[in-house]
Amino acid sequence: MNWKNVLSLMQVDRKSGRLIRGRKLTRYRENRFLAYWPYWTALGVGLAAGLLAGVAYNFVAASDASAVGDFKDGALSLFFSLPTLVLIYSLVFTLFQQIQRSGVRTSAQVPYWLPVTWQEHTLASILASLMGFPLASVVFIATATIAFSPFSGLVVPAVSTSLAVVAAAFMASATTEVFRILQVRFIGAVYKSTGRAAVWVRFAGSLVFFIVFYILYFYVFYGSGIVTFIQNVASVQTVAWFVPFVWPSLTLFYSFMSGEVLIGLAFMVVSILFITGLFFLATSLNRRFGLYEPPAITVSRGVYAPKTGMLGRLGFSSLEAALIRKDLKAFTRRRELMAIFIFPIIMIIIPLFQTFGSTSASAPFQLSTYLAAYTFLFPAAIMAMSLGNFMVGEEGQSVWRLFSSPISAQGLIKSKFFFIVLFSLIVLAITGTVGSVIYHPTARVVVIALVEGVFLICALGALSLSNGIRGADFTETPRPRMIRQSTAILNFVVCAAAGAGILAPFVPYLISSTLSTLMPSLGTLPFLDPYLATVVSAVIALVLTAIFYRFALKNAREFLSKAEI
Amino acid sequence: MSEAVAVELKSVVKRYSEILAVNNIDLTIKKGEIFGLLGPNGSGKSTTLKMLLGLVQPDSGSITVLGKDVQKDPVAVKQQVGYVPESPRLYEFLTGIEYLDFIGDIYNMQTEEKKNRINEYLKALELEGREGDMINGYSDGMKQKIALISAFLHRPKLLILDEPLSALDPRSARIIKDFLNQLKMQGVTTIMSTHVLEIAQAVCDRIGIMYHGKILALGNMKELREMSKLPDSGLEDIFLKLTGTGDTRAIVEELLK
Repeated sequence: MNWKNVLSLMQVDRKSGRLIRGRKLTRYRENRFLAYWPYWTALGVGLAAGLLAGVAYNFVAASDASAVGDFKDGALSLFFSLPTLVLIYSLVFTLFQQIQRSGVRTSAQVPYWLPVTWQEHTLASILASLMGFPLASVVFIATATIAFSPFSGLVVPAVSTSLAVVAAAFMASATTEVFRILQVRFIGAVYKSTGRAAVWVRFAGSLVFFIVFYILYFYVFYGSGIVTFIQNVASVQTVAWFVPFVWPSLTLFYSFMSGEVLIGLAFMVVSILFITGLFFLATSLNRRFGLYEPPAITVSRGVYAPKTGMLGRLGFSSLEAALIRKDLKAFTRRRELMAIFIFPIIMIIIPLFQTFGSTSASAPFQLSTYLAAYTFLFPAAIMAMSLGNFMVGEEGQSVWRLFSSPISAQGLIKSKFFFIVLFSLIVLAITGTVGSVIYHPTARVVVIALVEGVFLICALGALSLSNGIRGADFTETPRPRMIRQSTAILNFVVCAAAGAGILAPFVPYLISSTLSTLMPSLGTLPFLDPYLATVVSAVIALVLTAIFYRFALKNAREFLSKAEI
Repeated sequence: MSEAVAVELKSVVKRYSEILAVNNIDLTIKKGEIFGLLGPNGSGKSTTLKMLLGLVQPDSGSITVLGKDVQKDPVAVKQQVGYVPESPRLYEFLTGIEYLDFIGDIYNMQTEEKKNRINEYLKALELEGREGDMINGYSDGMKQKIALISAFLHRPKLLILDEPLSALDPRSARIIKDFLNQLKMQGVTTIMSTHVLEIAQAVCDRIGIMYHGKILALGNMKELREMSKLPDSGLEDIFLKLTGTGDTRAIVEELLK
């Protein structure tokens, strides 16, 4: 193993992050200290956290000596859970990284013409995947536990925990590496066996994968799920002793908590063997399939015969229809765009799961009405916002085609806006139906929510498209960026304000209605009619749509005339 | 601007920060001419070609293409131009046929005409049988063929081709060269940039040699030979002499040390 090669390959991977951050590339000089800021920060914060915990320990020891034992036991329990927790989130983050990169083939190319062995390449790939958040958290945990240990006399357990955490993170990344190679090979086999249906198989497969992945992700990392999850990890580990991924944690448990050092040593040995096995498995898979590229997907066969589409009959010019069709194919064939499509839906599914228990038949009528309106309005609004943001940036490096073609600003905006509205309306129809089935809203709620959903789609779609053109980012390596981060954040804030503005006319009605439910003696105010609020809301939405559509046109003119590629 | 002129650049300057990419160039290209733009890397060729299509805005000067001001009426200019960039990035999620269909629609071609031409080009450049595959499975040469077809498809009056024959197999390269000559007969103007001097010598009516953003020499082969005072030499020697990069022997000897 040539460690210098491993280090060099890792450096290349780390440096690819410069493109993600959109750094200026001319006359670039790297500041070594700033380049590693996440790890320095993790080190500093970990040190501070460890010392603070140590001070707290001393304070407890000085004020109540009997509590010291509990404090120590608590610390050891936490130490014991840490390797498995690190393993789980490292697994999620490294997988997430692979998903983001899957759209860019070139970044995954192995430099096979260089004198680098497969062991070196595999090790570098495993270590490079850990860079960023997983490595920073490993640094944080190791620093914090070691800094705390002299106060509590837990130096050996703390150092062992740090080593176990490193081992767990490596285990996670090696697993991702194995998964990555197998996934590429599996995809190739699927393409080959499914023939022309491969595009749709891939689309359906990707959607199912994303839905499952994001549901797990949100379950583990958001809301009360994370606390329950940590508690479950701590209690389940000893029972699940046969799962190799918990062995680093069990090493700590048997060595320092139950006092069975020999069993602890045995788990340490099998942990090392398992990690070595994973590494050799990843290496041999890389050697076998590392250069494998899935076969091309054949979408159509036979003599080419162009079709006259429905879009032409809807009044779109040949150019506008071509752009819409192209975007439709992009969103069903590009994996990174499929993820965008699924994201707003997942964001809504998760809270729905969490509220299932509270929205049974016994739930108050008002709550289910709000939730029904929520399912109508939010997924569609988020979809319009996301699509508007990405519609221009998704062109990526192929944007030269738009610049060099006879495309007018009107044609570009008309086609992109139509696409946003169309996709968001589909989302509105689907989530609205689901919401209606779950919450049984009244016909009046359904009609108003549907109409308001359309208003939000039009206004937020135009607004986001206008911003999306200004903040478009065509960088594609190591992953497609599509929109500048600052623009995306700004757009979110402005969309939230615009959405609130459109729905504002309902606020007096909702307050009055809620109060009358809580205190029936108050009654509702006669002039607060929801249909009246809908009309006022329509006017606001129409004005906002018209204004931002014009902004989008202006931005598109500038975008096409100042095309610098 | 005369009727016979396809492209006219007057005192065009383009600067990228401190780098002067194009330094006050004047150039006139006639209709039906095949014009070659040569020069070492970074000499300003690609920037000049991009400016002709409005893909890069000049800092000063004026550019007229087919009688129209590129900056004032870019859409009308683009409608009549076919363009192949240096490294064409295609929509890789489309199949070859879908991409060409998209291009045909962008240029508002009639359905029957589009169908016939696409099938003819695919056959001529031996892409038949692979046209239904997604472009991300194509080799570089196949992608280049698709990029070239997309430039020719709508029968433009002006072709701007940046390294058009790179990655092509010899047969396809020959077809493209012959095709450009045939288009010339029909009055189509071609402006191409290439590093393969044999191609420029064989195909181009006139050649412009750029260096440090300026046009050092301009003319047909005979005129270039006279300018360089190398009466019996090929384009390679003329190029190396005019650009002052001819002292290659000393460099090679230094490298061998």
